[in-house]
Amino acid sequence: MKWYEVISKIDRRIIYVLLTLFIILPFFVKITIPQNIMPQTQKLFDFVDSIPPNDKVIMIAFEYSPQTMPECRPMAIALLKHSFMRNIPIVGVSFDPQGPGLAVEAFATVVDELNSIALSREDSIIYGEDYVYLGWKSGRLAALLEMGESIKSVFPRDHFRNSVDSFPLMQRVRNYKDVAIAIVLAAADYPIDWIRYAQTRYGVKVGAGLTAVMAPKYYPFLQTGQVSGMMSGMKGAAEYEKLVLEHGYATELGTAETGMNSQSMIHILIIVFILLGNIGYFFSRRKK
Amino acid sequence: MSPDPWIWIGAILTLMIFSFLFKDNPFYKFGEHLFVGVANGYFIALYWHNSLKPNLFDELAAGNFIYIIPLLLGLMYFARFIPKISWLVRIPIGFIIGWGAGISIPAYFQAEILRQVEGTIVTPESFINPLNGIWALIIFIGVVCTLIYFFFSKEHKGILGHTSRLGIIFIMIGFGASFGYTVMARVSLLIGRIQFLLGPWLGLIK
Repeated sequence: MKWYEVISKIDRRIIYVLLTLFIILPFFVKITIPQNIMPQTQKLFDFVDSIPPNDKVIMIAFEYSPQTMPECRPMAIALLKHSFMRNIPIVGVSFDPQGPGLAVEAFATVVDELNSIALSREDSIIYGEDYVYLGWKSGRLAALLEMGESIKSVFPRDHFRNSVDSFPLMQRVRNYKDVAIAIVLAAADYPIDWIRYAQTRYGVKVGAGLTAVMAPKYYPFLQTGQVSGMMSGMKGAAEYEKLVLEHGYATELGTAETGMNSQSMIHILIIVFILLGNIGYFFSRRKK
Repeated sequence: MSPDPWIWIGAILTLMIFSFLFKDNPFYKFGEHLFVGVANGYFIALYWHNSLKPNLFDELAAGNFIYIIPLLLGLMYFARFIPKISWLVRIPIGFIIGWGAGISIPAYFQAEILRQVEGTIVTPESFINPLNGIWALIIFIGVVCTLIYFFFSKEHKGILGHTSRLGIIFIMIGFGASFGYTVMARVSLLIGRIQFLLGPWLGLIK
């Protein structure tokens, strides 16, 4: 077999082994590959950073699933830390059936961490006062439109079956007028519905935290200003983690930033494989 | 290593699914079937407790008999299984299409056509920052050339041919960007799983 045939017919199992090695290596060998902050992540961070404390709420839609947790969970954690540290109340919702469990887990992780270092009750994050998770609702188009009139009529009870009237936070959050921005953390095409129905009709600002597969679709909306800022995949999450750390809202980086070294290594490996495949293809074609 | 049995279950199931990378085997099959079963059970329970029960059956039990109408519309979907009355399925489908089209067409047109056309128009304000102006111009040329590529009523010759070829270049750049992002997404998922195996399960990384 000629050399160009060898490089264009590498056994897929060899590729898998190399991929795994290149992912594992940066966890044990210190390799620092610098990550620049993309403008769309900076824009989202700046938007959240400019919301006055204890005023309007951030609505976070938890629309990701267990398989996309490596991309979307770090976004949720960084965003929750940023908002809570700035005393911006949060209202969580989900229209994806897989969202509720992951939303509860993300809230619990951040609230436990922040409450463990809180010095007083004022510093603590309290359910019903600083945040509420309203849970999952089917029929999202109707729900998105109705929330423009009354959030309470769509979610009369929260995820834990408490009446939303019992929460001080929900006394002052009536509809989208009380929402500074709705940030959709999604592994499927949910943000477009927020743009189509919540923004077009009620003018609510929409931010997005998307899996990398979905990100290209949302660049046009970013350019027109329909999306106020965006985190794209694990890279976007790592950038937001970095911004949150740099501004003193967190004490350490999250899982996305640590994963980005592996990500960069893999990209180099894939570029090498693409080059090898192409070289092999062109040489074998020339010989024919 | 983690003492938590749930972490062990997660790790073993992850390895079972990864075993498919070598070749199809009974461990992979077990993991796959378990996933399908658990996912179905989860969705059925979630829809029953969060949607059907509170939004329909609780209301009927409370004497709100107006809810018989959505119940009947829902039941009509099952008419498909009885050939004699299968035509009934058209009623709820018609209702859904009518409602969906009415609600979606104006919203879609406004959010995805009008605003996008607005974003493509180059104005003197686009050049306040010269770099932004150049990008605005590239977007404008890209949109026009791509639209011309999809204009099939006239043969792509002359100016039409040149612009449509430029349109193909813009489309290919778009495909390349999408593919790059897709690679990044899939690798991220693998990194996440490996972080789970090395961290919570084996305790080798923080």
